[in-house]
Amino acid sequence: MSEEKFDPVIVGFFCNWCTSAAADLAGTARLHYPPNIRPIRVMCSSTVDPVYLIRALQEGADATILGGCHPGDCHYITGNYKARRRVAIVKTVLKSLGFDDTRVLLEWISGSEGPKFARVMNEYTSYIKERGPCDFKYIDSLGGD
Amino acid sequence: MVSENELLKKFLKDAFEKGLIEAVMAPAATEDSYTYALVTKKEDVDKLTPIAPVMQWNGADMLRRITKLKKSERKLFAILRPCEARTFKELVKFNQINPENIIVLTYDCPGTIHARNYKHDKVPAEELIAEIKKGGKNEKIRESCKVCEYPVPIPGVGDIGMGIVNTTEPVFFSLSDTGKEFLSAMQIQEGSRDADSWVKMHRERREKWLEEERITGGRKGIEEFLSSCLNCHNCKDMCPICFCKECFFEDHTVFDYESPKYFNWADDKDGIRLPTDKTLFHIGRLIHMGTSCIGCGLCQQACPMDIPLYRLFGIVGNDLQKVFDYKPGVNDDIPPVMDFREDELHEFEGLFGGEE
Ligand code: SF4
Ligand code: SF4
Ligand code: SF4
Ligand code: FES
Repeated sequence: MSEEKFDPVIVGFFCNWCTSAAADLAGTARLHYPPNIRPIRVMCSSTVDPVYLIRALQEGADATILGGCHPGDCHYITGNYKARRRVAIVKTVLKSLGFDDTRVLLEWISGSEGPKFARVMNEYTSYIKERGPCDFKYIDSLGGD
Repeated sequence: MVSENELLKKFLKDAFEKGLIEAVMAPAATEDSYTYALVTKKEDVDKLTPIAPVMQWNGADMLRRITKLKKSERKLFAILRPCEARTFKELVKFNQINPENIIVLTYDCPGTIHARNYKHDKVPAEELIAEIKKGGKNEKIRESCKVCEYPVPIPGVGDIGMGIVNTTEPVFFSLSDTGKEFLSAMQIQEGSRDADSWVKMHRERREKWLEEERITGGRKGIEEFLSSCLNCHNCKDMCPICFCKECFFEDHTVFDYESPKYFNWADDKDGIRLPTDKTLFHIGRLIHMGTSCIGCGLCQQACPMDIPLYRLFGIVGNDLQKVFDYKPGVNDDIPPVMDFREDELHEFEGLFGGEE
């Protein structure tokens, strides 16, 4: 693999009611955020089985974001509290086994926070660029080093 | 002096005679191992070995099966090891066992021999028990037994405890109100014994084990650990906490792929191992049930390739349980995956912990 320019893939699972709305808002306001982010709209942060976060890494994503409504604001009342527990579990398992747990990010971004959405996406993308490619995708493969 | 097993059998027969119980679930010997058995008659009690040297299945899993469709219709007395009693408690919390009409007795545990080793070297229960009476533990027992965190009855976990260590004669004591009434109806004087230093011995071994056997190194570490894994899922089948009717990792709508998917993977990853998704299964299982891993070690015993799986589940499980300040099966706390707090876990939010 040529390493001249590392262009990470970051998969974002964004809840319909808040973070996806913030993405739309950022778009209509012409706030720039990097094309590295591949958004997936989910109904609520709690609908993502935590295994899909590592599944995305295994599929080749360099990082994943789970984005939901702020605590107290979940459209389904308590979904994001459950999602937070699941992210805590995923990050703990990754860290415990010696993986980079910063490849999974949990963010609360409300529908009106277009600027925050753009800022977080920019910051996280540069952070992951610094960090380099994720070797999780090579698990159970013959590749990687 | 009568052996612990003889004493327990006498106890069970008395209980039948007094009309206090209508059925017993306890281990029974087979040709070269031990099964669980359910008996409903006093005459059948002699077929049992209440304290057996082998644990083929987790007894709580048997109680789950018995009460799955209907609560226990008879007064059922179950003899469980401490890890099985904790599993019982955990499965009650998950609504997988209806505890109504079930009385649980548990005891200071001598440990069990790996079922496969027992076939070739039949260490009798009496030999294991003799060892704990001397304050030690037999060296032939399973890894998870050697590093067991709670090898003794715990108040509130089960109903009756039998103390074996640090006492000349075994003692009975109650762990619940039901147990208290039961013992008094049996006209048994409650006794006590001090097992603290014996438990401490286990905990010290456990601390050392937690430190030394950790799987580290990310991809390299886990791949090396699982390198001979057959992806047979036996570990999950034997795990009492993996009670899902349909396991996510056996869902063909998720894990069947069209051929281009395989080829694309092989392109992208410079070759792939087949079958796919092996490591994902283990990491995923950890994510699903690690917070409630009870430490029975049956995953490890079930592995046909002798992968010391309890090192993976016990150690990562320990890390997970610390995050939630949760000890599965020892008290009434709600399992982390069934619960949440509004104000918690902020260190897992955002990139560097905590929201702005
Ligand atoms: S993961 Fe292993 S040790 Fe933990 S509860 Fe399941 S079978 Fe027992
Ligand atoms: S691995 Fe997950 S889905 Fe499968 S049985 Fe265990 S808890 Fe259920
Ligand atoms: S029992 Fe052993 S070989 Fe089978 S899936 Fe589990 S770890 Fe792999
Ligand atoms: S709907 Fe946004 S987190 Fe639940």
